[in-house]
Amino acid sequence: MSKTTIKFAILAIVLILLQVIGLNNMCLFGVAMAFAYIYVLLHLPLDLSQNWVLTIGFFLGLIVDVFSDTPGMASLSCTIFAALRKPVLRLYLPREEDLTDPCPSSRSIGTPAFMKYAITMALIYCTLIYIIEAFSFFSPIRLVLRIISSTILTWLVIMGIDTLLSRSNEKRL
Amino acid sequence: MRNLINFLIRYSAWILFIIYTVASCVLLFRNNPYQHHVFLTSANAVSSGIYSAASSVTSYFNLKEINSDLQRRNAHLELEILNLKQSLAAYREKEYADSVPVDSSLQRYSFIIAHVINNSVSRAHNYITLNKGSEDGLRPEMGVVDQNGVVGIVNVTGPHSSRVISLLNPNLRLSCKVKGHNHVGSLVWQGDDYTTAILEELPRHAVFENGDTIVTSGYSTVFPEGVPVGIVESGMRDHDENFFALKIRLFTDFSTLSTVRVIADSMTEEIKAVEADTESKRKQQ
Repeated sequence: MSKTTIKFAILAIVLILLQVIGLNNMCLFGVAMAFAYIYVLLHLPLDLSQNWVLTIGFFLGLIVDVFSDTPGMASLSCTIFAALRKPVLRLYLPREEDLTDPCPSSRSIGTPAFMKYAITMALIYCTLIYIIEAFSFFSPIRLVLRIISSTILTWLVIMGIDTLLSRSNEKRL
Repeated sequence: MRNLINFLIRYSAWILFIIYTVASCVLLFRNNPYQHHVFLTSANAVSSGIYSAASSVTSYFNLKEINSDLQRRNAHLELEILNLKQSLAAYREKEYADSVPVDSSLQRYSFIIAHVINNSVSRAHNYITLNKGSEDGLRPEMGVVDQNGVVGIVNVTGPHSSRVISLLNPNLRLSCKVKGHNHVGSLVWQGDDYTTAILEELPRHAVFENGDTIVTSGYSTVFPEGVPVGIVESGMRDHDENFFALKIRLFTDFSTLSTVRVIADSMTEEIKAVEADTESKRKQQ
């Protein structure tokens, strides 16, 4: 348990730093942004209680908020995101008991299932965060464009991180 | 009682979810931009430390453009100095007896140089983090400019860092006018393009042409009069028929901000005291 905790703490710190120093400053074509930190929530073990998932989600969002001066935006999105994680995963993975590794990744649940899971969750997250942002500005075409392009970019980044992590695990084994 | 505890345990996930959602919404809708605590902004010790470490690397990337900006501005100022010297010499000859040198301690504005350690242009509400704070003399509601024009207004100050509301933030409305005329409008950002903003509420009889320079009006203690803001790109009809709205191309390139100057106004307190005084007298009547 403690090994997993340390692994997730390091993962969270690295991804938050990656987000606030790097990805927050990149905005492809003026619309597409990548949200790498949601990989932490995607990757949390399935046997972890829902209370912990929600708590981690809220505080992860809060830390990102503090860094990027968007009070409440990422924390609200991450809380709802954390609540929706299990129902979405159940869509693509009916039997979760016979998993060797409780953390969802392309290695533990299979690449096609993980790709579908990741793109659904990325779509949910981008929709949430841009709708919350649209409380202050509203232009429908731009909103849809931002959601779709950011979903694709976020999905690519998540698949990249997942590939890196699975490969390093294989080497260790 | 036991039922209540059972209920709480069984639905604890829902209760937590509601608590976190409400907490986020409180953060989200607490609208007043001047009342944030410094811990919940990017001016706190940890994030400003990380940002200044990152910016010590990335600040080298834009040096070329900033250098050419400075060169251009420098040439412009040198030209202006030459012109002023000429006219000064002419006046000195004319009014030799009356000329009294102005003491530098009487000057109203002074600059504090600061470095931008975090900045964004792509969000709906953009903020900038600086590496100077209250111990360097920064106070909330001070104006920030760079070598090209207006950047924003200081919002929250920590001891060694502070957060600035960027001009690219709809919470900021800047009182501006067309250079050479006295009709005042208010400049606000539209949320999409970081090179342009809209000058609203300009009276219908105001005179302007495309390409005219827009400067600050000096109607507050934040910016002195005449700080350049941008040029008029095109005129457009405001939603209210009695006013013009102008599309302004901003002078400041927000994507390459690096060194900025914070304007300290020595008369802020005096003016505020006078205004507060008049306000209280009006209430008494």
